[in-house]
Amino acid sequence: MTASLERGLNAFREQIDAPVASFFSSCVHCGMCAEACLFYTETGDPSYTPIHKLEPLRRVWQQEYTFWGRLAKAVGLSKPVTDEELAQWETLVYDSCTLCGRCSMVCPVGNDIAYMLRRMREGMAASGHAPEGLVGATRRAVTIGSPMGVKLPALQAQIGHTEKDIGMTIPVDVVGADYMLLLSSMEIMNFPEFIGAIARIFSKAGVSWTISSEAFEATNSGIQIGVSEIAAELVQRVVDAAEKLKVKNVISPECGHAYMAIRWEGPNLIGKPYNFKVVHILELLDDLRKQGRLKISGKETQRLTYHDPCQIARRGGVVDQPRHLLNMVAENFVEMPETGTMNWCCGAGGGVSSNERADGLRLSAFKRKKKQLDVVRPDALVSACSNCRIQLEDGLEENNMDMPVLSLTETIAEHLADD
Amino acid sequence: MTTISNEREFRAALDKLDATQQRLLAARFVTSVLPLCTDERISHAVAVAADSEASAATLAEALRTAKAATIDCHARCGAEGDWEAQAGYFVARAAIAALTPLGQLPGGSAWQAAMSCRMAQTSKSIVSGEETAGLESEQQYRMLSTYMNS
Repeated sequence: MTASLERGLNAFREQIDAPVASFFSSCVHCGMCAEACLFYTETGDPSYTPIHKLEPLRRVWQQEYTFWGRLAKAVGLSKPVTDEELAQWETLVYDSCTLCGRCSMVCPVGNDIAYMLRRMREGMAASGHAPEGLVGATRRAVTIGSPMGVKLPALQAQIGHTEKDIGMTIPVDVVGADYMLLLSSMEIMNFPEFIGAIARIFSKAGVSWTISSEAFEATNSGIQIGVSEIAAELVQRVVDAAEKLKVKNVISPECGHAYMAIRWEGPNLIGKPYNFKVVHILELLDDLRKQGRLKISGKETQRLTYHDPCQIARRGGVVDQPRHLLNMVAENFVEMPETGTMNWCCGAGGGVSSNERADGLRLSAFKRKKKQLDVVRPDALVSACSNCRIQLEDGLEENNMDMPVLSLTETIAEHLADD
Repeated sequence: MTTISNEREFRAALDKLDATQQRLLAARFVTSVLPLCTDERISHAVAVAADSEASAATLAEALRTAKAATIDCHARCGAEGDWEAQAGYFVARAAIAALTPLGQLPGGSAWQAAMSCRMAQTSKSIVSGEETAGLESEQQYRMLSTYMNS
């Protein structure tokens, strides 16, 4: 057995906790998870059945933690997991799974299959079977602080440009601010107007906020690749910055997995509760709306629909807030079929977008979103995740669908009432 | 003689322009940063936007081309960022803004094109370390003043 395989199998053993063991022993092999997975429904390939993606982990559980499995292994009826099998499973675990969690929603016995896939990635990464793109992103996140290599001077340049455009100062390293805003590298690189939108909204609503120059990155590649030590280190950087600036709240921006990482996994990763609250930007905007601090002027007349980012809606619970906000700024907001907690993923989350090898599959998976859009035929598509936005633009272009993709936060900012 | 000297005047003046005027001016904005983009499709799209006689069908086709080019050059999530390439991405976005019919973009075509051109210069400044974004906005004020006085 190679050292890397041993590391991987040890990681599998460590990941088989009580939930994973009970999920495997509860599985009734019904296959319902297949019909919930867009990689299966859009390709028809049975190997994309979510529970099948877990087969090496299931074998380790069975062979080492069940009586009959141990016996079968001892008499040679059940073969040990090999390096070749893990290499074969790499594409199933990383290319054809966005950790969207839709499979977990339909499991009749309540198995959280996405949770298990997240656990399985720990073993895959430990055994050296993680995609090159995610490995590079994770390395940059650790060494530079951003999976895309965005350094502080680049953020400062974007802030400087934004300040000139909007005629406002963007607060950086303000001690005692109520809110510390995190940004994804995708926002800094592809959608810097998000920073201006936030500044304008917060100025009008009277929100005390800041950006930290020491920890501005929201994303967490450690979660996506499956290395909890790295994930914890990235969370700790945010915690340290928030404590240093003595903020009361940390805002997760328009990035799906960043919210799941900092809001839901973060305290468990670092092993202690935060002394600040984490809110998603849409939660905060909706709170401002409820408090009457978000004054809007005019409405979008075009037909708008909303794509729920999986980690924000299904895994994060932020479902009603975007709808309240959209109804504030849209005259003609229409829902796609199967939205909210049962929305279909865009096809690019969970690290799939950083994995070039998965490009073809990612665009095949988008056909599910196309089917949803074809039902309501909107003029524009609104979302709240930069990665979703890029995938949606990519998929729309691939399918000759002419439809702008808008940020919900930026759309709100465009409708702020004058004083 | 009109002179635009700040952002408020700039935006107010742009708001008064009709669809064709916005497109032609946006094309001028994009042309000034066109060297930051190496994609020939964008050069072609901007040339169409700058043609006052361009038909609706030609403009629509150029818009489709610009959108396809933009999709090809955005930074992908998790990939190592290349600010030089990113400058090209913002030029491509500016070209899309120039060709998008009025009313479909918040703030108008010319305003959106101007913003994307500034972002292109900011991306370039991140590579070079030289401050160029402020210079671009001043250049845009001059271009608008010249346009309004012509």
